[in-house]
Amino acid sequence: MSSESIKESYLIIDINNSQTKAVLIEGTGGAYSVKGIDEAPTTVDTPTLDVTIGVKKSLEGLGQAIGEGPWSLEGPSKNHRLLCSSSTSGGLYMMVAGVASKISAESAQRAALGAGALLMDVFSKDDRRPPYVIVERMRSTKPDIFLLAGGTDGGAVGQVLDMAHLISDADVRPRFGPDFRLPVVYAGNVEIRDEVKGTLSDNRFATRAVDNVRPVMERENLGPAKEAIYDSYMEHVIIHSPGYDKLLGWVDAPIIPTQAAVGKILYAYALERGVNMLAVDVGGETTDVYSVYNGVFNRSLNADIGLTFGICNVMKEAGVKNVLRWLPDDMSEGEVRNIIGNIMIRQPESLTPEEALVQQAVAREAIRLGVEQHKGIASRLKGVSLRRDISNVFSQALESTYLDMMNTRVVIGRGKVFTQIPSAEAALLILDALQPEGITEMRIDRLGLIPHLGALLALNPEASKQILSKECLRMMGTCVAPRGEARPGKVAMSVRLTKSNGAIEDVISCGELKTLPLGLGETAKLDVMPERRYDIGRGRGKRLEVEVTGGDLGLMIDARGRPLEFAKWGDKMVEWRKAVGLDQALR
Amino acid sequence: MSRREGITIEKDTVTRKSRRIPAKGEVLVKVGDLVDPDTIIARGLVTNPEIHEVKVYIQLGIDPEQAMRYMLKKEGDEVKMNEVIAIHRSFFGRSTRVCRSPIDGTIEAFSKTSGRVFIRGKKIVVEVRAHIPGRVIDVIPEEGAVVESRVALIQGLFGVGSEKTGILAMAVNEPGEPVTTDAITEDHGGKILVGGSIISLEALRKATRMGVNGIIVGGVDQKDLTNFLGHEIGIGVTGEENTGITLIITEGFGTHPMDDGTFNLLRSHEGRLACIDGTTQIRSRMLRPEIILPIR
Repeated sequence: MSSESIKESYLIIDINNSQTKAVLIEGTGGAYSVKGIDEAPTTVDTPTLDVTIGVKKSLEGLGQAIGEGPWSLEGPSKNHRLLCSSSTSGGLYMMVAGVASKISAESAQRAALGAGALLMDVFSKDDRRPPYVIVERMRSTKPDIFLLAGGTDGGAVGQVLDMAHLISDADVRPRFGPDFRLPVVYAGNVEIRDEVKGTLSDNRFATRAVDNVRPVMERENLGPAKEAIYDSYMEHVIIHSPGYDKLLGWVDAPIIPTQAAVGKILYAYALERGVNMLAVDVGGETTDVYSVYNGVFNRSLNADIGLTFGICNVMKEAGVKNVLRWLPDDMSEGEVRNIIGNIMIRQPESLTPEEALVQQAVAREAIRLGVEQHKGIASRLKGVSLRRDISNVFSQALESTYLDMMNTRVVIGRGKVFTQIPSAEAALLILDALQPEGITEMRIDRLGLIPHLGALLALNPEASKQILSKECLRMMGTCVAPRGEARPGKVAMSVRLTKSNGAIEDVISCGELKTLPLGLGETAKLDVMPERRYDIGRGRGKRLEVEVTGGDLGLMIDARGRPLEFAKWGDKMVEWRKAVGLDQALR
Repeated sequence: MSRREGITIEKDTVTRKSRRIPAKGEVLVKVGDLVDPDTIIARGLVTNPEIHEVKVYIQLGIDPEQAMRYMLKKEGDEVKMNEVIAIHRSFFGRSTRVCRSPIDGTIEAFSKTSGRVFIRGKKIVVEVRAHIPGRVIDVIPEEGAVVESRVALIQGLFGVGSEKTGILAMAVNEPGEPVTTDAITEDHGGKILVGGSIISLEALRKATRMGVNGIIVGGVDQKDLTNFLGHEIGIGVTGEENTGITLIITEGFGTHPMDDGTFNLLRSHEGRLACIDGTTQIRSRMLRPEIILPIR
């Protein structure tokens, strides 16, 4: 039997606060597929207090679904390799500190977020808070891991040591087990590792030093710090959650934070395709945004911005008027507020049509808030001097953020809000919330398997990427949207879509949203000629020829203008919904 | 799906409430004691959040790193307001500069490099009361006790405001009846009112003016509650609102007739003691507001 025909089998489990989801992936000869998925309630809290009970139930459920037993009497079947990601107990809580808030502290922040952390606070020497407030904050906020950065290699010494002393003086204690040592990752000036370890090395701290996150001003090096965070998470954090000691004995690779797994696979996907990508993960309590621009990965997290537990907070942060603009005029503010309040306090499993409509409106705002915050994280390195000349004075390259919708080839939506609604609703949600520009593929995580594939990535990258592309990321369609202010009554562009069986030509007016038929996975040549005020990627009024791929909604053409101005188009909402196949009225 | 799935309603049960102070202190009851809602269970001292930063080096007119040499107090020492904590004599004692404590408190920390001292205010007295009448069945050394009581127990869906007690009074006759301003009178001062389907903003404000301790009602408009609190409700963690009244909604936001079982149980306790707590935590480790109706 050749090695290529050996059957490979992986059981992958993702454990979040509420659900433990198991998937079986098998492959022979390099072709992999999902054999089954099942989930059970997570059992890390009272009364069960043993995560393995939920794991067992999900694997037993999976066994019933596929007709074979991934669960034996003693534990998971040894016929499969078992992998796991976890975000129980709210995930990985971290605090970070650096010398300069916009330089080392910002790099440390990116490393922590990239490793999947929920950031509790960021400290720096130029912090506006007085030292005693910082000490008080450090003392009262118990993290899982502390990341300390500061100084380039061979650079600042005193200020980094001051910060180490501050952490020591504050006697920061870990979130779980006040008698345990707090894991500290030091990723600053390599020349003072011993001094930092000396300051943070008594029986209160478990300090490990890794390569500097900012070895020189012009470069960031986040990989070693992220790996050290994963290691500390395994060694010091996860073992304190009930049942994880047993689970650790079952798995064939280290357990990683769910958000880290998501980030890893999305990064791999963008690199493999050589595209810029923006992904949003809207949960009940948090909204995560992941991006890869020119090979640089970033993740940001908006805590308490979600669609169940965090739904009132979205309304608070975004403002009720911004939520109302996505809803029909006959829905009053009072009615919408009550629906939002009830979703928060009840977290219903199923929603009424009105509740679903309101939740989708809030989702648009949650994503908007998430992306706004992400712009600050996905930004060029501060502290690096820029040379501007007449040739680049208007260039995007000098923008403070990498995030540029015109240069985003793929956008991805993840979370129940995308999977529990028809494709057309999901596509419209992405269109409204992210407002892609130029030519953009719109995809959603239909199976909810991105964390699982991230956990599989290190062990079998081929299987992981194959399933992500073929089964996990459902193509909603390619969006064609010119940048520029839409003027009612004017023509925005003309398009010609050439398929194998003929061509379609159309003239698109400003304010129009329409779809052209292009089957799922089908490719065609698109020729777009924007009017002189509009830019489709080559500059104002310049023609673009490109190959596009179809999806559930074919090719989507959005000439509503960028940014989308509601005062201009508010009464067209029903028309837009009809354009994507949502014939029923809004309510 | 029932909108009240997972919400407790018990007509006759035994509840055990753990009553603890958030620090070590003295427990004032013993096992077997009978307690009232106002009985103090434990008393202790908690850390004062107020910290004063004193730049010793400036007051002594020296470099920051020299300050250590002139300190009279060390970390952990108690100090009085205006007490000298550092002194610097120069020119053979002819010139003396001192640094005094701005408050009564304790030396929290001293930074050798920056020459600054942090003085924390005196500890604050905290007490915990029984909240419900009952019998002490266990003592938690230095922290509090467990009080057991036979009660009817109802969980609400959402609440604002902290622990309150009072005599239960009906503000409506039917579970579907809204609470109007007319239904609230001066006689309701100090009581816990039971409403029907909804309470208006005006009625809430009037209840506060009349000194009502708490209101249990089917619903309230989210907009009215926002206006009543004076701020948007963001995350669903409540209990520390400074409104003077505790509000518990049993069904949800908007107009919702109170569940018949809940309404009838409350009505059967009319004129008797009710102990309520609006504290809610809508997130993992969910906490719902509670209505405890002691059974004699």
